[in-house]
Amino acid sequence: MKFDTVIMGGGLAGMVAGIALQQAGKNTAIVSMGQNALHFFSGTFESLQAPSERLAELFSAAGIRVHYRKGVRLMPLGTFKEAALSLDDIDLFPTPKFGRRVLIVNFLGYHDFFSSFLAEGLEKQGMECRIRFLSLPELDNAKAHGEMRSVQIARSMDRIWEKVAQEIRLLLKDEDTVILPQVFGLLDDTVPGRLRQAIPARVVFAGTMPPSVPGVRTQMQLRRRYELLGGTFLMGDQAIRAHEHDGVVHSIATHNLDAHYLEARNFILATGGLYSKGLVSNPFKITEPILDLDIDQPQDRNEWYNPTFAGEQPYMGYGVKTDEQLHAIKDGVAMQNVYAIGSILGNTRPELGSGAGLAINSAFAVVDQILRCTQNDNEEPATPVILSEAKNL
Amino acid sequence: MKPNEFDVIIIGGGITGAGTQRDCAMRGLRTLLIERSDIATGATGRNHGLLHSGARYAVNDAESAEECIRENMILRQIAAHCIDETDGLFITLPEDDLAYQQTFVEACRKAGIGAEIIDPELAKRLEPSVNPDLIGAVRVPDGSVDPFRLCAANMLDAKLHGGQVRLHTEVTGFIREGDTIKGVHTRNRQTGEETDYYATVTVNACGIWGQHIAELAGVKVGMFPAKGALLIFAHRVNNLVINRCRKPSNADILVPGDTVCVIGTTSTRIPFEECDNVAVTPDEVTLLITEGAKLAPSLSQTRILRAYAGVRPLVSADNDPSGRNISRGIVCLDHEERDGLKGFVTITGGKLMTYRLMAEIATDLVCKKLAVEKACTTAQTPLPGSEEKSYEAVAQKVWEAPTTAQKAAASRMGTRASRIRSSNRRDDDLICECEEVSVGEINAAIDRMDVSTLTDLRRRTRVGMGTCQGEFCACRAAGLLVKAHGCVERERKDLADFLQERWKGNFPIGWGDTLREAEYTQWIYKHALGL
Repeated sequence: MKFDTVIMGGGLAGMVAGIALQQAGKNTAIVSMGQNALHFFSGTFESLQAPSERLAELFSAAGIRVHYRKGVRLMPLGTFKEAALSLDDIDLFPTPKFGRRVLIVNFLGYHDFFSSFLAEGLEKQGMECRIRFLSLPELDNAKAHGEMRSVQIARSMDRIWEKVAQEIRLLLKDEDTVILPQVFGLLDDTVPGRLRQAIPARVVFAGTMPPSVPGVRTQMQLRRRYELLGGTFLMGDQAIRAHEHDGVVHSIATHNLDAHYLEARNFILATGGLYSKGLVSNPFKITEPILDLDIDQPQDRNEWYNPTFAGEQPYMGYGVKTDEQLHAIKDGVAMQNVYAIGSILGNTRPELGSGAGLAINSAFAVVDQILRCTQNDNEEPATPVILSEAKNL
Repeated sequence: MKPNEFDVIIIGGGITGAGTQRDCAMRGLRTLLIERSDIATGATGRNHGLLHSGARYAVNDAESAEECIRENMILRQIAAHCIDETDGLFITLPEDDLAYQQTFVEACRKAGIGAEIIDPELAKRLEPSVNPDLIGAVRVPDGSVDPFRLCAANMLDAKLHGGQVRLHTEVTGFIREGDTIKGVHTRNRQTGEETDYYATVTVNACGIWGQHIAELAGVKVGMFPAKGALLIFAHRVNNLVINRCRKPSNADILVPGDTVCVIGTTSTRIPFEECDNVAVTPDEVTLLITEGAKLAPSLSQTRILRAYAGVRPLVSADNDPSGRNISRGIVCLDHEERDGLKGFVTITGGKLMTYRLMAEIATDLVCKKLAVEKACTTAQTPLPGSEEKSYEAVAQKVWEAPTTAQKAAASRMGTRASRIRSSNRRDDDLICECEEVSVGEINAAIDRMDVSTLTDLRRRTRVGMGTCQGEFCACRAAGLLVKAHGCVERERKDLADFLQERWKGNFPIGWGDTLREAEYTQWIYKHALGL
């Protein structure tokens, strides 16, 4: 199977790179393990201010609604954090005191939404709070199939949000604001907006314990957009090794595709940090498992950690080494057709931002680099891949 | 008597203090237990959790071995819900001297320990995780014991017999009249409140910290702090305790306990000042992994959950400051006889295994001082929760058709599981999915067992002890604590302290999946939740 570019990793960085390359007429494949950092996405694109025109277009075409304003957002434990570019689910306020009287509504038996912490945080800002619990038979049914967690509730909410709105209207006294757990709009992203209209007070969604419902939805929207553009999304698969010759990678082997290698002119490594297994660690070092790329790290493991949990953790900053064009470096030499983007970079490229900002900035930078390099080349016609075949392997 | 007056004050909420309070209370004394932190925070909660058969001591210390096997048999009767009767193996590896096995078995038999030489092939069938290269195996009645549960059950029984408990309360000084200790000055470490308590006898049961308490009272008890480091693996690799059949050495005991197993230990003399903050070094970690894999080779591929260390309360048997005469046995000091100080007793040394006997010895002395003539009954009376031997039978009785989570609760609480509120089905909601701890069980602990922090709750319920190390359950449990105590600000700090405490045991073994989990926890709390 032959592509222009094969992207390893289907998180925010990989998806943005894939969509941008498909839009530019390139034939790409994304190999995705399934879960990634979007599943615990806070909803705010860290280290990004106003979206570039290019990003705004990409989001808009994917149906991802974002808004921008320099301000603060409410965090799930009742604290406030500076935020700018965010999903529409997240409210951005000029100051932390965004209301006078607040009704906080949770679902009975849902322990992943921290209503008492929220109330205390808001009261500190001078708001009056009242906490109420809704008991819904529909959620008891959900409970029969396991514990109440964000995504399980969100599945029901797409169907029963109108009933929830009705219950809240009954609960509402003189409050100007209602705070709800962020469990609306998993599949139908119009639900949060319609819910807001159905309640005669300002509705603010506060985050829950992961999985993040807006994050999961964003991931699905990006994937849909990518596939609409003709991209090949290999779900539940992962790259296990690369075949290289003279510093050039010509194909990769994946877990599911057996001997059907993925060939490409370019490879983008967007496999994430330790959590996503883009990096792996043993007692002696942190390594990059597919290509064994160079990583800056101290010899002594004791230097990896800050004994204070809340402090900066050095190990979280380690990432693969790259040159100025984000070519990955192996044994001190930049690999000319392998790029690294997203959190696999750790803190090695602070100029590109961090978190979601790093993912997007590095993805666009590499896409531009690839497009520049192939502008004048005669491209070989790519062999189309039949997705169903790939999935059956 | 006034509310602040007691017959006896016990300082120290480890197993020795809790056991002594139980014994005193059962003999009708008015008791108060004072602990500066939480239950089982010293050596009690920082060991293997091995229900020694005594075999380990048989060759070198016959007295300890005999004490162990006697107490082992007693604990099986009185502490069923704290004990897992697994049995144990003493294995001989090719590099060990097989001739030692004979010496070992003879010494065991002399001490009254049932030790049976079995075919290595049978050992492999009984314990599939054991090193297959073994050349000899002896089966002994070892087991595992949950020290937190045991300590909590003793304290609970003391309370059921009228005893009072003040946790997070520090003794800041003694009330002394002439040559007699009349009581203690205390300070609550959470509220800052200062209170005096009075008693005819005060018992120092502070383990290694007993040296400091004795100093406050104006007498000298020389302790010799020896640190032991241990590792917890994320799976219960073995079902039988595995020991090396050789002279006791480093990292030669692997004990299964609940959902995990524990390898240990090392032994390093440390300065007394370090007792409050012992850390596990990389060298100790390496040693424990290397030696552990010799007992059960699969350990080298098993995820490590935590590293921790405790300090053994070794004591100089007489007033010998040189430390030449260190004893691992039980030491009960009547300071009236020894130092001319009336109303003050120190009970120290000993082991988790012999806590009941230590308590009996200390209580006998207290009773003598109070001229109370009442016999000890702790060896015959089951602890609260242990009235029934099989937790499955308990679960059956309480729930009819128990779920696995309810069975887990019964295995932790024993017959006390009937106290779990089941008034509404929300009580079945799981807070900790790794260990299957429900809302009802957590509320039962908060109601009855002096829980003020998440870490206290962990010691009583196993919340946050599983593979996620509190990543998901800490926040949920914090919500329940807020409901009980009504103070979010305090809980916010508590949550941060809890995560710090978990990290302390994670980073010394921070690689592989443990580091992945830690990175995820960092992300969740800092970036997603905004702690």
